Amino acid sequence: MYKKTVEIFKYRQMLESLVLTDLRTRYKGSFLGFFWTLLNPLLMLGVYSLVFKYVVRISLENYTAYLFIGIVVWNLLSQSLVSGATSVIRNAGLVKKIYFPKEILPLSVVLGGVINFLLSLVVLFPVLFFSNVKVGLPLITLPIILTVYFIFTLALTTLVSCLNVYFRDLEHILSVVVMAWFYLTPIVFTEDMIPAGLKSVFALNPMNPIVNGFHKVFFYNQFPDMIQLLWLGLLSIGLLIICYFVFGKLSRKFAEEI
Amino acid sequence: MDAISISNVTKTFKIFTERSSTLKDRIVKGRKNKYQEFCALNNVSLNIEKGQTVGFIGRNGSGKSTLLKLLTGILYPDSGQIRVSGKVSSLLELGAGFHPDFTGRENIFMNAAILGLTKKEIKKKLDQIIMFSELKGYIDNPVRNYSSGMYMRLAFSVAIMVEPEVLLIDEVLAVGDAAFQQKCMDQLRNMKQKGTTIVFVSHDLGAMEKLCDRVVWINKGKIVEDDKPKKVIDKYLEYLAIEEDKRLIEEAGEVNKQIEVKQDSSDSFDTNKENQHDEQRWGNRKVEITDVILEDFNGKKKMSFLSGDELLIRIHYKSWGFVENPVFGIAIHTLEHVHCYGTNTQIDYYKIDELSVNDVGEVYFKIPQLNLCGGTYLLTVAIHDENGLQYDFHDKKYSFKVTSLSNEVGIVKIDHHWDRSEF
Repeated sequence: MYKKTVEIFKYRQMLESLVLTDLRTRYKGSFLGFFWTLLNPLLMLGVYSLVFKYVVRISLENYTAYLFIGIVVWNLLSQSLVSGATSVIRNAGLVKKIYFPKEILPLSVVLGGVINFLLSLVVLFPVLFFSNVKVGLPLITLPIILTVYFIFTLALTTLVSCLNVYFRDLEHILSVVVMAWFYLTPIVFTEDMIPAGLKSVFALNPMNPIVNGFHKVFFYNQFPDMIQLLWLGLLSIGLLIICYFVFGKLSRKFAEEI
Repeated sequence: MDAISISNVTKTFKIFTERSSTLKDRIVKGRKNKYQEFCALNNVSLNIEKGQTVGFIGRNGSGKSTLLKLLTGILYPDSGQIRVSGKVSSLLELGAGFHPDFTGRENIFMNAAILGLTKKEIKKKLDQIIMFSELKGYIDNPVRNYSSGMYMRLAFSVAIMVEPEVLLIDEVLAVGDAAFQQKCMDQLRNMKQKGTTIVFVSHDLGAMEKLCDRVVWINKGKIVEDDKPKKVIDKYLEYLAIEEDKRLIEEAGEVNKQIEVKQDSSDSFDTNKENQHDEQRWGNRKVEITDVILEDFNGKKKMSFLSGDELLIRIHYKSWGFVENPVFGIAIHTLEHVHCYGTNTQIDYYKIDELSVNDVGEVYFKIPQLNLCGGTYLLTVAIHDENGLQYDFHDKKYSFKVTSLSNEVGIVKIDHHWDRSEF
């Protein structure tokens, strides 16, 4: 594990190149450029606000802002998983022709997602401002939540990226799973709306504390539940180690399987 | 110290006859995929000293590239150990890691980063890389517009400018033009002098002989020879000639079979035989050539010879009537129908008095030293009377191959030696 980390650090320049390539190919050649990335969450926001605010009639003050926070946060995980699943196959040309620590591939996807997430914040703040949502001191905990979220996302993305090489239909299964997961996470609804009987089930969702944390910071102007985050952080690190171990085993045959 | 040590490495690939790699199939059908095993490398051991330049040769599919990939760390061996010490740079295939939408300059950064360089190091070498690639005018164009030669220039420039301690090259240099190839060779020689360990796979045996300290011949996943370049290359060429020979004989056998089948099926009409017009055969068939066999000095049937070998042409004949003073002749042409040589028993004053009805026998034509350059040659064999009336003429019906171990050009090898004196 230690050796691998050192090696990945040595290849940081490649990592940077991959992240930049990923970001640039996404924006290069498209007329709207960077705004395409924002267009997706904004469109989702439009649809969900319409449905849940006016059709389902969820009554929550500043529901749109609440929704927007959730969607932006969720996007990091969902895009990392979906794009990460195919990351090894997409880079078959590299995997088959040169040596490099393959862990870089899912890592670059997640890092690209984080950069996207940070760019989305540029839009999030004006939205919050216009919705009269106050933010303040709790913002300092943002790096902590983001770090935990990053480790958790990285662990899962690493796992799906190597499994998808062996089971090519995983990416399709994954999109269904991600959608189901989306509705099991308090994004379109608040935690208070969960019926008491189901609360224990929802509590098992590891995305719960993360999305809650972001909501608390951006929406309620409160400090997140640090102990919960700490536990999740430890869990994520454990998961990451396991996922890296699996990836290390499976990556030995990548060049033959692709 | 050895820069590369390979000990007892075995690598097998699974070739799936029926491939499905979806989770659904695994669960629904609950069985593993059927596959055959292909042994690409079989218990190979090899040590390469630091600073040595080693070439791998072998036929396609012999395991050269697999070995190179194992050295790079792209593939892992099933068993055995591979140890490579030092910074490795490899040039396995054109354009690995090039992004078509990006400019040459951006790709240099990316490619060098992939080879493990930091930004600072790349910046320092950027000018050098661009200069070497001679792509200054195109460096800010997207590489999708590059030709394969330009791709190779860029890739090669990056791969050698990272100053690796071990450089692995798979047959890619062939894409460059002659001038650039020369430059690459010079650069490789330069690196060699600086103590870089170079391993490369090539089918350019001439270049290999010039550059390598050692050549390893791999065949069917095993090391056959590992010695001085000249020695190994000669043995390899000899082997190729034998293989080619086997193939030619097999092919000739196939063709004969087909002809036989054709003739069998063509009923018992006597006229059929004459109707069956053979463009390459004519004559009144008073004496018929029943077979022509090419043999080497061992009396082994062959169709491929080494230049300088002995070649024996055996002409089997059968006479249907009484003929006086028949003349046997042969001629050798190149594939372009250039007449290389021709003679007959009359020219050579070898008299055959007469053949009586139903005589069967053979005439030998022996070439003690086949002084022809490499290539394929066509053989004409004929029997006619003194005045040139053809009994049976087989125009360029036979062919044989000559492989030359030296690089002379032309058709005929003229005995020669060089000398020099100063006035």
